[in-house]
Amino acid sequence: MERYEEPKWIFGLQVASVAMMWVFVLSISAWILHLLRLSHRLHDVPSASVGISIVAIPVFLMGAAVLTYVFVGLRRGREAPVEMSIEPEEG
Amino acid sequence: MTRADDIEVTGAGLEFEDRDLLRSVEDSGVGFRVASTLLGLVLLTVWVIFGRQILLGLGVTGLNQPVTWGFYIVNFVFFIGISHAGTLISAILRLSQAEWRRPITRMAEVITVVVLAIGAFHPMLDLGRPERALNIFTAGRLQSPLLWDVSSISAYFMASTVYLYIPMIPDIALLRDRGARPRWLYAFMAWGWQGTTRQQVVIERAVSILMILVIPIAVSVHTVISYIFAMTLQPGWHSTIFGPYFVVGAIFSGIAALMMVMIVLRRIFHLERYLKQVHFDYLSRLLLIMSLLWFYFTFSEYLTAFFGNEPAEMRVFFYKVTGPYAPFFWSMVAANFLVPVVILSFRRTRTIPGIFIASACIVVGMWLERLNIVVPSLANPRLPLPTGYYIPSLVEWVMFAGGIATFILGFVIFARFFPLISVWEIQEGRRLSIAETTERLEGYLPDSLPSSAAQTAAEES
Repeated sequence: MERYEEPKWIFGLQVASVAMMWVFVLSISAWILHLLRLSHRLHDVPSASVGISIVAIPVFLMGAAVLTYVFVGLRRGREAPVEMSIEPEEG
Repeated sequence: MTRADDIEVTGAGLEFEDRDLLRSVEDSGVGFRVASTLLGLVLLTVWVIFGRQILLGLGVTGLNQPVTWGFYIVNFVFFIGISHAGTLISAILRLSQAEWRRPITRMAEVITVVVLAIGAFHPMLDLGRPERALNIFTAGRLQSPLLWDVSSISAYFMASTVYLYIPMIPDIALLRDRGARPRWLYAFMAWGWQGTTRQQVVIERAVSILMILVIPIAVSVHTVISYIFAMTLQPGWHSTIFGPYFVVGAIFSGIAALMMVMIVLRRIFHLERYLKQVHFDYLSRLLLIMSLLWFYFTFSEYLTAFFGNEPAEMRVFFYKVTGPYAPFFWSMVAANFLVPVVILSFRRTRTIPGIFIASACIVVGMWLERLNIVVPSLANPRLPLPTGYYIPSLVEWVMFAGGIATFILGFVIFARFFPLISVWEIQEGRRLSIAETTERLEGYLPDSLPSSAAQTAAEES
């Protein structure tokens, strides 16, 4: 089985997808921060609601960070191929 | 001859004996086209009817005053509950290093992602003016548990999607290298996977982080959904145990749905070599425990309300137990407790058909539970109003059918493009599990005596 040579535009698409993911995650974080400011301005019930909402931001950031780590890690780890069970080889 | 047969694959000196797992991708055939066309037509009908509902308003549903939540919210809670099948169970099985998880986790994770998307859409159906949902971006009020739901469900959806995707990367690369179409999509999604040691470390590390991350998120999602009810002062809803009660119910219905999916897919794709009786046996024991736990929570919830004897609570209580909702209430008890406990307790009935019947009963029973929670409390409000009623319209039934059709279509499309069982995890299991499990078992056993002490003990005996 021959190894597939990636066209360069696929790498561009991958970079764009990571960038879009960060835009999405940062937008959500900005939205939650906007709602927090709104609740403060309207004197809404603070404490629990603020606490619960604030927890969501690190979750989104963590998800995006993990995906970015995987993306960068897989690109950097390409140089030294070794025996891998699921990667069928010729022969 | 199919493409799968053309390419004889070998790896690490072993024959590629798991081609069955790629059959749904490489040899999808007419079945895929027929199923996706039929389901697509169902969904088209559903969208037309939804469009009509938007034009005419919620008057086309059975919703009224005071029962302003009906099937749509029942289905919202139900589908989100089912979503606990996947990521949570998969994460727990991975974390506990349960070796029998390998053929199960992928299906469980797919259920989560598909069902979460379906469930999250249901509150939109319940809006007379869906476009006003956009107001939450500018003027959402964080004091509302409904908004907590939006953030927790979207966080869970993101974490679950990432958790499904990352362990799929080696399989996607396998499909890329086997020439599966569209090849550019597999190349894009494989992110340059070559199977190097360093890449394996990256994937393992990412999965380890995610499996720890998703467990509290999954628990929080259904707890927050219970807050929609429990944070009000409505009789039957204002309960401190609603959070754990909902989480238990969600895991319970999730495992049942997972077992049904496993049994159906095992039959359709001939996965008998992978999904064995032992997998169903272990999961059914878990299901039995969850059934008992569900009964314990239900009993505690209703007994507390009954002993409190508060008039508004008692109206709801008797509405369910002896009133108009009695058939639904007692069917729920039978479907969630009596039938599964009888079937799953005995080895003779704990067969795959028996497990399927028990699981189907539980899925229906948990849907009835959601119905019993939502409607009776709204029909008997604390305010001095006459008792309400709710009869779902055909529109609501069609939307319900649409939800189920979307679920099936989600699986059909997934199976067309990706293996339903993780190929690399199965192969890793073959190579490493026996040695690892043996080593772990030896770690559990008491340490052997040093040779001199053993000699002394032998002489003394």
